[in-house]
Amino acid sequence: MSSNMQDPSKKVTRRDFLKFGATVVGTSALLAACGPQATEVAANLPDLTSGNSIPLDDLIAAAKTEGELTTIALPHDWANYGEMIETFKAKYGIKVNELDPNAGSADELAAIEANKDSMGPQAPDVVDVGVGHTANAMSKGLFAKYKVAGWDSIEMKDPDGYWWAEYYGALCFEVSKPAIENSPQDWDDLLKPEYKGKVAMAGDVLKSNQSVMTVYAAGLSRAGGDKTKAAEAGLQFWKEVNDAGNFIPVIADQGTIAQGETPIVMEWDYLALANRDSLAGNPETDIVIPKTGVIAGPYAGGISAYAPHPYAARLWWEFVMSDEGQNIYLKGYAHPIRFNDMAKRGVVPADLAAKLPPAEAYANAVFLSVDELQAATTYITENWRSVVFGE
Amino acid sequence: MSITNEKLTAQPKGDVPMARPPTKRSPVINWLPLAPFFLFAAMFLFLPSISIFIGSFKSVDGGFTFDNIIALFTVKDFINAYRTSLMISAITALGGAVFGFLLAYAVVLGGLPKGLRTFMTTFSGVASNFAGVPLAFAFIATMGNNGLVTRWLESAFGFDIHAGGFTIYSVTGLSIVYMYFQFPLMVLIMAPALDGLRREWSEACANLGGTSWHYWRYIAFPILIPSLLGTTILLFGNAFGAYATAYAFSGSFINLVPILIGAQMQGDVLFNPGLGNALALGMVFIMSISMIGYVSLQRRAARWLQ
Repeated sequence: MSSNMQDPSKKVTRRDFLKFGATVVGTSALLAACGPQATEVAANLPDLTSGNSIPLDDLIAAAKTEGELTTIALPHDWANYGEMIETFKAKYGIKVNELDPNAGSADELAAIEANKDSMGPQAPDVVDVGVGHTANAMSKGLFAKYKVAGWDSIEMKDPDGYWWAEYYGALCFEVSKPAIENSPQDWDDLLKPEYKGKVAMAGDVLKSNQSVMTVYAAGLSRAGGDKTKAAEAGLQFWKEVNDAGNFIPVIADQGTIAQGETPIVMEWDYLALANRDSLAGNPETDIVIPKTGVIAGPYAGGISAYAPHPYAARLWWEFVMSDEGQNIYLKGYAHPIRFNDMAKRGVVPADLAAKLPPAEAYANAVFLSVDELQAATTYITENWRSVVFGE
Repeated sequence: MSITNEKLTAQPKGDVPMARPPTKRSPVINWLPLAPFFLFAAMFLFLPSISIFIGSFKSVDGGFTFDNIIALFTVKDFINAYRTSLMISAITALGGAVFGFLLAYAVVLGGLPKGLRTFMTTFSGVASNFAGVPLAFAFIATMGNNGLVTRWLESAFGFDIHAGGFTIYSVTGLSIVYMYFQFPLMVLIMAPALDGLRREWSEACANLGGTSWHYWRYIAFPILIPSLLGTTILLFGNAFGAYATAYAFSGSFINLVPILIGAQMQGDVLFNPGLGNALALGMVFIMSISMIGYVSLQRRAARWLQ
């Protein structure tokens, strides 16, 4: 509880200081120099209600008076968030208070809701959630609208500015080379007898969006790209994988990949590529974007409607969505959502682009709308056990 | 320093009588030392149980609903999950009890070298606490499809453990994994109980013409039965609530209640804490029933001991 007390008291001191500064203007040269400066910021605090992009200089000044930003669920090895946070801190001199880096999307929204009335250090300013979760956040009014500079070049977003995609990945096959001679190239290959007991997912279908999308992508491939049939076809596909004895239910992670128990894993490409780096050739891995059924998994950013540091929150997103921030994602192998725009303007460093699978592989990447995503998720999770395991 | 010195010098005062005559204290003072326990139990047992109970009747948007409770009895996946959870807990509890008891017997009364007992209890102490992700990975890495032991059996003896359709990723496989922490716990608890069997009793039995069967049937077993029952129920609860081991081992492939609760409470996909609470309430209910059964059984078993 004491931690909740900290921020209000900080606020009071700032307000007191402003009052104090205003009354003593002219009485002391030193204070006079401070006073007007402080009152100027207070008078000109940029408007938050319109949701329009705030000129960067004003935003930086306002964010600096807050001095702190509270983030949640940003693991440092996920999409290069470690570098993102460090660069932000160094660039703007704003402290970053990182809440549970391993929280899931639902936890992030729950944290906003639970801290509605608190300005304390447990209240997140900004969130990064699976796109499907934006519906829940919107219905509960948890997000504040804001359109960053360059809004038009964001390819997936809420028209009113309540959320926008920051980056996406495509599902790929991460193949451990010593265990698998011929890497599968498309979903149907996974049914081949040579992959018996070798096909794993990186999460549980009932728990992880990544695995739900793994089911969906296989179905999309099978249904020839027909989104309405993909969920059903996907379950059928995985039933066949399981019946063939190819599916291994171990939740794959770097350890089980290195050990060889899960030699073929379906994963977001940025995670697989980061894995390849940290495994450093032991074992050698092959990252394959399937020929068909390429599904894009975007993440959505948003600002808490109850953010204790609303300006720092907006500054964070201006930074993350700028060319600089977007290239930091790319360094972590996540496709920045403004990639096409940036490529057109030639601001994507060639050496970064070269480390990713060829751009053509992503040309057919399919984005799902929030509604499509929710319908697919519901259908797949409700029928997963009965169809695939025949229970 | 001075305080400790005072205490040290104050203690050995010659022949202070060890047992003091009972003094009259107020009952409040008698209960006071137990306060931390009651506080602990309230905070970590009763309050969470109450919160589970209340949460079970909450819908996703926070209103009151019976849907969660109804779902426990109507949704096929949930019924199956309870069945599998009960089965795996009962099997590993009984298996752990029998195997652990025999092992404890062998070590304590089997006339084996003394050092073996020390080794066995140390191992049991470690193994009974070895659970969760490390345990799951240990089994994956040794007995999995690409496991060390699997591969060795194949290369050294040409023996394919999967030939007969066996796979470690099954209810049987998970039971083997659970047994790894189940039977050592039994050994740990049964060894002191077996120590309590006095040699004179078996000698007395023999003097009266009783056989080994008579001794076990009429003397040793009735004495041991309360601890046997108690430990078995402990093993049951141990397996019933295991989550991390099962999840790391095979996700939701094996349909267990704790896995379903996890999916509802902290997943990225499903989110209905009310349903998670209802599933947990079902588990609390089942554990309560087995505890009540245990208490009444134990009371009958222990009646003649008094």
